[in-house]
Amino acid sequence: MASPIYTLFGFAGISLFLGMSVLAPGQAKTKPKAPAKAKTGAQVYQAKCAPCHGANGQGGAAYPKPLTGTQSVGELSKFIAQQMPPGPVKCAAPDAAKVAQYMFDTFYSPLAQERNRPARVSLSRLTVRQFKNSVTDLLSGMQPRWGVGTRGGLSATYFRGRLWEGKDPIKRVDSGIRAQFGTEAPNVPGLDKVDPHKFSIRWVGSVVAPDTGDYEFIVRSDQAVRLYLNSQTKPLIDGWIRSSNDNEFRVSVPLTGGQAYPIVLEFSKSTVGVDDTEKRKKLKPAPAFVELQWKRPKLAVETIPSRFLFSQEVRESYVVATRFPADDRSIGYERGSSVSKAWDDATTEAALEAAGYVASRCQLVTGVDPNAADAKKKLAEIMLRTAERAFRRPLTPEQKHLYVEKHFVDTVPTDSAIKRSLLMILKSPRFLYREIGEAQRDSYLVASQLAYGLWDTLPDDELLRAAAAGSLVTKEQVEYQANRMVQDPKAWTKLREFLLSWLKVDEIPDLVKSAKRYPEFDDATASDLRQSLELMLQQTAGSEASDYRQLMLTQQMPINGRLSQIYGGGLPKEADFQPVKLGTDRAGVLTHPYMLSRLAYLETSSPIHRGVLVARSMLGRTLQPPPAAFAPLAPSLHPSLTTRQRVAMQTQPDACSSCHNMINPLGFALERFDAIGKERTQENSKTIDTSGLYRTRGGAVVKFSGPVDLSNYLATSDEAHAAFTEKLFHHMVKQPALAYRPTLISELTASFVKNQFSIKRLMAETVVQTSLAPERKPAVQPTKASAK
Amino acid sequence: MGLSAAMLPFVTNLPSVSELALLPRKKRLVIIFSPDGIVPKTFWPDQVGTNFELKESLKPLEPFKNKTLILNGVSDRVRGDGDNHMRGIGCLLTGTELFPGNVQGGSDTPAGWASGHSIDQEIKNHLQKSIVTRTRFGSLEFGVMVPDHADTWTRMVYAGPNKPIAPIDDPYQMFGKLYGQMKDQETLKSVLDDLQADMAKVKSQLSAQDRLLLDEHASLVRDMEKEIQASRKKEVGHKVPEMPAGVRRDNDKMPELSKLQIDLMVSSFVADSTRVATLQYTNSVGQARMSWLGIKEGQHDLSHEPDSNKEAQEKLTKINRWYCEQLAYLCKRLAETPETDGTGNMLDNTTVVWTNELGQGNSHTLENIPFVMVGNGLDFKMGRSVKFNSLPHNRLLMSLAHGMGHPIKRFGNGDFCGDGPLPGLA
Repeated sequence: MASPIYTLFGFAGISLFLGMSVLAPGQAKTKPKAPAKAKTGAQVYQAKCAPCHGANGQGGAAYPKPLTGTQSVGELSKFIAQQMPPGPVKCAAPDAAKVAQYMFDTFYSPLAQERNRPARVSLSRLTVRQFKNSVTDLLSGMQPRWGVGTRGGLSATYFRGRLWEGKDPIKRVDSGIRAQFGTEAPNVPGLDKVDPHKFSIRWVGSVVAPDTGDYEFIVRSDQAVRLYLNSQTKPLIDGWIRSSNDNEFRVSVPLTGGQAYPIVLEFSKSTVGVDDTEKRKKLKPAPAFVELQWKRPKLAVETIPSRFLFSQEVRESYVVATRFPADDRSIGYERGSSVSKAWDDATTEAALEAAGYVASRCQLVTGVDPNAADAKKKLAEIMLRTAERAFRRPLTPEQKHLYVEKHFVDTVPTDSAIKRSLLMILKSPRFLYREIGEAQRDSYLVASQLAYGLWDTLPDDELLRAAAAGSLVTKEQVEYQANRMVQDPKAWTKLREFLLSWLKVDEIPDLVKSAKRYPEFDDATASDLRQSLELMLQQTAGSEASDYRQLMLTQQMPINGRLSQIYGGGLPKEADFQPVKLGTDRAGVLTHPYMLSRLAYLETSSPIHRGVLVARSMLGRTLQPPPAAFAPLAPSLHPSLTTRQRVAMQTQPDACSSCHNMINPLGFALERFDAIGKERTQENSKTIDTSGLYRTRGGAVVKFSGPVDLSNYLATSDEAHAAFTEKLFHHMVKQPALAYRPTLISELTASFVKNQFSIKRLMAETVVQTSLAPERKPAVQPTKASAK
Repeated sequence: MGLSAAMLPFVTNLPSVSELALLPRKKRLVIIFSPDGIVPKTFWPDQVGTNFELKESLKPLEPFKNKTLILNGVSDRVRGDGDNHMRGIGCLLTGTELFPGNVQGGSDTPAGWASGHSIDQEIKNHLQKSIVTRTRFGSLEFGVMVPDHADTWTRMVYAGPNKPIAPIDDPYQMFGKLYGQMKDQETLKSVLDDLQADMAKVKSQLSAQDRLLLDEHASLVRDMEKEIQASRKKEVGHKVPEMPAGVRRDNDKMPELSKLQIDLMVSSFVADSTRVATLQYTNSVGQARMSWLGIKEGQHDLSHEPDSNKEAQEKLTKINRWYCEQLAYLCKRLAETPETDGTGNMLDNTTVVWTNELGQGNSHTLENIPFVMVGNGLDFKMGRSVKFNSLPHNRLLMSLAHGMGHPIKRFGNGDFCGDGPLPGLA
């Protein structure tokens, strides 16, 4: 059963005791209902103890010390029975036990104190993602960046000889690299009269990694090949010397999501070393092929698609390879709320690595020849600028000396100076923590909040210029920057991460289905589906309009030929991804086959998983974990039941139904789709029932006839709008919304609706509001439950 | 890897004094490579036995003559794909054929990498198996002016079939490998006080609640400082070598680069970071131009000149004498360096082997590959000039393993392992 106490905003108005029962439901539920005459612990306390100790144990005139401590309930109870109140008549043991329990839960224990703490913007370190992005940008920013050129492929140069020899090479853009030359020369317009015994090709450009993780690059060829990735000097894959018959080279590298990396693939037909082509001309040309593939984290091997390739080479960028402990996600979003030895060690190692990288590749990274006469002076200037960017504000003269100038002196060798200075900067709390400048609320702080809020990284040059000019003060000024910044690919990277986490697809390993039940669903299908989902997000939330309603309602599913064989849509088998309408029962991301397969078992659908996602992610409802661990009933034991009937049967008991009355009817509306997200009308020879319902927070009952109805409701419901706004807020800001002001989420939701449900504008508005709202006053009274 | 893991290499391999007496002496093997063959008549002694005279090319070994063993008549019998330069270096330490491939040499068929691992890696793997002989690196691969491209001509050491190991020819990179972690800790230590001071300043700007987090962080930084201090007490007892600034990888800097690499090698032995090392000068077909000897031509070009070209032969003799000087410098450094466990000096426990991919440059012969050894690491009878009747070099590779306490029955192509190690060495 839905109840208003599940919402965060319900807390403010309800009694303390009720608030407690929400946070510790086990205790609340197991407590027997008090008989009419017996008093509760709260009543006893307020009657007998409060006069001296205060209504909330805060202390009173007679006994000013607050009642807080670390004793157990038993110890407290014993103490009260023996010592309280002062005077000859002591508290009866049963009452003492109740009072002790009440005090312990309400204000005495450290846990209770933590719970009662008002929501506040608390000091946070950079999250791991923010740290890595910041270090990359810090090092890359020591020199001007280059543009990536146009999306859609790599620049190719075809040479009429081996090893880049021969006159008049032909240039063009190749959308992907997968060539079977056979015994012929490449079939490229303008490239005539080429000897099929010897030719060479060089592909140059950039590749963008969509997610952070380990990427496997695979070059397949029977000729001399070399792949450079993010390095101009050291090949990632060196197949220049062919030895034995191994035609496949694989290397795994960690890459950062949203970052562009320079990539060069070299291919040369004929032998390397001494030119023996004349000798070979008597022979038939050998066959030749080349292919550039990758395996993205968790996806299948594929030829690198053109949408990840750009035609211009960018500068090398530094990748933080250090393994970090995962950030705290206990309240639903990553945040930098705690430090640990593992984290401190990781920051040290990462800082040393980065410092070593810059010192050893000084010229490449900084553009300064470390052996030049004025190298120290120039490098000190670069380091000062680096410190300023790292700390997101200018340094005081004292800080300049400490972090840079004292290292760049004659007695310290240049490389040591670089290392010391950079190590200091990267280990400094001024870099590692956000909000440190809270005392100095100024344009620099606003710049930092905009950058981390929208990009998870340092402010760019334009933001820093605006901050230096003091022009991040008025709402218009900040809005101008925020609107510019949401158009940047970095904002899309952050939004994309949010959507994947909101849809809970970032948590799962590979998608697998029963090969017996669904022989058509293999690894390639799973991989295609994931890409299809990502394209759908890109085409809806990632578009110019960035319309939430489109995300929830679009009937255009981007699928390719392989998926079309399974899901319909009538595409030829080899077709690339393109928007297709799949039947009449699909609308929006919830009905995407990836989501439906993900929220299903190996052989059967799972209305519970589907309902939980809708309830939690999309409607923002809080659900307690099940009271015990349950295995789903085996379908084979109930062959005559539909999944719907089986689930209803299993969740019938009272202990289950309080939550499942909400979960199941939401999930049932999606029963139109089976375990791989394919449409169906029957299950076990019974007609599928897709009716569902939802009881709103206000108590209204909304009925759905099927999936499109459900999506329509989610696209238009106030609850869904508020939930989306709040979840996006926490993903971006990483502080409790209540800490700014109690009405902030409803204000933002209102502006979301007003702005045609533009998600990007919501992002902009979110950072504008938080960076201009420095309120740290308690948003709710200390005795009320906080957002924690 | 955390900081404490980073420090481990410096605290291992340091047995206590009472354990020292029980440990066998540390045996070491160094293999030095120089390219393009030698000039037989200025290289090979005329005599065999203990009473022999060092000729022009080997004169620098005079101070170590009684610790020197010169082996004539050892030949590389491995055939198959690749020209003699390729097979010369690729089969030199592996004793096995090259894979077919796409690298075309000046003659013969194209080839790829060697189809087996090299003897130094075999010995390294053996030493790394036992806690008594295990070292931080197991082996170190030094180079001097090795061209910056990976092909069959530039690789001598193989971890396995198709797995060439690139020598490190930049002394600064080698220094980083040997001392980088320690240097990192010094850098870290040099900034910790300042960092903590600034942390205290930051803390003073925070609210009481926020200070808790920074307090926790500050105590982690203090712990790190203590860890560094603890590790410094256990550090190896030798001075970190001073590196002169800015010696570039440049042909004319070869003498400086060579000296730096040899000094680093000796330091790595003092730290007992490795007991196996290779040092590769340039590459097979190497084109060093020894301008410091007044020679303008590249070595490989000179090596093609016929025996009748007196001037070329003189220059080639000078070139090989220079390589021999490098060998002698290493021997001198080893002889000057006492063992930390009191078992004499390092040359008493180290055998340095100097070799080449060819017997002679202009004929490209793989017969009579030069093998000159100095030092007593392998317990061979030294102070001799020995002449074999064309025995396959696989048997010498086996001798090296046997001398290092690893009695293998065959190595590389079994057809060339005959009756086991070369006769009469030990």
